[in-house]
Amino acid sequence: MSVSRRLATVALVGRQNAGKTSLLMHLTGSTQHPVNFPGSSVERSEAVAKLADGHLRIVDLPGITSLEALSPDEEVALAWLHGGTSGAGAKEAGDGPDAICAVVDAGKLGVELDLVVQLARLGKPIVVALTKVDVARVTIDVPALAHELGVTVVPVNALSGEGAKALLERLVAVVATPEGSRSALEDASQRSVPVDLDLLVRSVTTRSDGDRPSLTDRIDAVLLHRVFGLPILALLVFGIFQALFVGAEPLMGLIEDGQGALGSWIAGLVPEGALQSFLVDGLVNGVGSVLVFLPQIILLMLFVALLEASGYMARAAFLLDRVLSKVGLSGRSFVPMVSSFACAVPAVLATRMIDNERERLATIAVLPLMSCSARLPVYVILIGAFFPTSQAGLVLFSLYALGIVVAAIVAWILRRTRLRGSHAVLMMELPVYQRPSVRVVKNQVWAASREFLVTAGTVIMATAILIWVLSYYPRPAAIHEAHNALRAPISAAIEKLGPDAPERAALEARAGELDTRERAAYLEQSFLAEAGKAIQPVFAPAGFDWRTTVGVLAAFPARELVIPTLGILYSVGDVDPGEFDIASLDAAEAHREEGLAGRLRAAKKDDGSPAWTSLSALSVMVFFALCSQCMATLGAIKRETRSWRWPLFVFSYMTGLAWVMAVLVYQIGSALGLGGAS
Amino acid sequence: MFEIPHDAAAGTPLDRERAGASLRVVSVQGDDAIARRLVDLGFRPNTEVRVERLAPLGDPIQFRLHGYRLALRRSEARRVLVTAR
Repeated sequence: MSVSRRLATVALVGRQNAGKTSLLMHLTGSTQHPVNFPGSSVERSEAVAKLADGHLRIVDLPGITSLEALSPDEEVALAWLHGGTSGAGAKEAGDGPDAICAVVDAGKLGVELDLVVQLARLGKPIVVALTKVDVARVTIDVPALAHELGVTVVPVNALSGEGAKALLERLVAVVATPEGSRSALEDASQRSVPVDLDLLVRSVTTRSDGDRPSLTDRIDAVLLHRVFGLPILALLVFGIFQALFVGAEPLMGLIEDGQGALGSWIAGLVPEGALQSFLVDGLVNGVGSVLVFLPQIILLMLFVALLEASGYMARAAFLLDRVLSKVGLSGRSFVPMVSSFACAVPAVLATRMIDNERERLATIAVLPLMSCSARLPVYVILIGAFFPTSQAGLVLFSLYALGIVVAAIVAWILRRTRLRGSHAVLMMELPVYQRPSVRVVKNQVWAASREFLVTAGTVIMATAILIWVLSYYPRPAAIHEAHNALRAPISAAIEKLGPDAPERAALEARAGELDTRERAAYLEQSFLAEAGKAIQPVFAPAGFDWRTTVGVLAAFPARELVIPTLGILYSVGDVDPGEFDIASLDAAEAHREEGLAGRLRAAKKDDGSPAWTSLSALSVMVFFALCSQCMATLGAIKRETRSWRWPLFVFSYMTGLAWVMAVLVYQIGSALGLGGAS
Repeated sequence: MFEIPHDAAAGTPLDRERAGASLRVVSVQGDDAIARRLVDLGFRPNTEVRVERLAPLGDPIQFRLHGYRLALRRSEARRVLVTAR
């Protein structure tokens, strides 16, 4: 055995809700980071505690109920716990923990000690951290418990951190002298004498407040009420949804303003040309299109973390489990589903609380079908342009309903085919309500945001740059010369006029229009447009004209890109996609958009027929409702499923389904004689 | 020898009990992962269990045992046989 400078390692083991995460933070400060188990991609979080005379590595295992693994992830974690001598961890034998810190909820000793007994069989020194002593409804004789178990028991308050220091000292002590820390439990279990836990628990606890309903009971009487439970949940979800839009809106505006300002600043420094366009349209817009998701992600993860830490999340799952069980999911899928109406990216991250892997994958696979906030601007513009106000609400509602219904069907199919088996089981503790720890919530929000920026960010950036290249080149010089020839007389005329001449404004507008036309001409000749025209036959049955097809292609990195692209193609100048959020539903904003809407209505195909009808608008919207046009989401799915298989599957089935449904809508509608120019 | 299902000695399935019922675990049926998980969650013989409430849509059911609250679907609760306390 080499005397390497390997850090002594302690594993934090306990059930879900035992308070491990906050305990880890109090033991080590907040510098924990996710690390993969050796030889696998299963994640654990670990941190190093700094001591007066050295360091102690503390590893937080995922919550486990027993030493029998029900999922592959649990298997990997447990193999490591066994000392890396079996299973997936065998590659680095000896990388197991030197000691185990069993985190035990004082309120339910009767169940928790069962795990401690099982852990004792591993033959490693154990220290028991007794959490939630203050909220437990029993008084525990700690010295008696320690005596009965034959191990050190340290009461800690996972919220305030009280007792964490004493716990750390005990852990250091057992790591230093493992032989002296053999537990009576271990001896008992090795003699295979069953430990009578019920007797043991009874001998060390006294009920402190009898059968008086606790605070949690009283809150549950309202929140889980047979009649009011569901309406309260609906109200809460609606409130969160509203807060997401209202709260994220100004921040998203700031980011877009900043992006615009930075773009103009660079445009002022760098001479016009490929470099400027790359920096402004490719790089700055690429970064901007990543950052603009951040406010929603931060807010949503904040709400999710608060709901989870307070104990309400399990209640929401309890209330809605019945509905979701019909399609092979469980109540735990509910929060990610709802979150996905705002943005699928944080929703994918929020599926981590689903412990059944197949159910989690099925949830991830259908999340992007929920109409997210980036689809709304597309709906708003097209509904405004092609449907009377009296039908607008119905069309919008139908598009949202379409996503939900398709998601239910896809989940149902997946759970009967590829993700068959291990039927979703709900065996879920409803934890005692508690005030969320600021540090835990802050940590969760920060971790999710950072992961999004790093992983999804690189994917979006790369795609944004690719799309920029395709839409910028080849840039034939003839277009520039032709437009210069047209511009010359106008510039000359402007120069002849005085600064206050009334004709000046009209001429400058004409010059601006020429610039836009030039951009449209470049785009028409670009590789992207070539590709659009080449695959136009594919989308013709759905009623798209080639410009719409180009818009659809350009929208694959991020669906909201379709608006500026259509804006350029139909030559009304650069339209800022950020303008069309929920706030733009009001009349003043809608009036401003008449530019693009009017152009779409007026646009003609090559044969002179209208390029857009209400039927083709509906077909385009159905396509957008179902299509996977968000690299950020696919990046998040890649991150969460640890393979390219799932993002590829999600992309393929959604895009295929979107095409089929759009074609069906257009063909059936045409056959019924619907969709004349409106 | 044969077993009569649900007789008094064998106990009744936990999912048939009404909200508010105070019960005692007789056994957990089966020897698969679900059965073992139920035991790990605290359904050992002689454990006291109370049916706290049904979810608004009738499933799952909230129980109380060993001082904590646990939600189970009927399909799993059925495995636990209980008698009145």
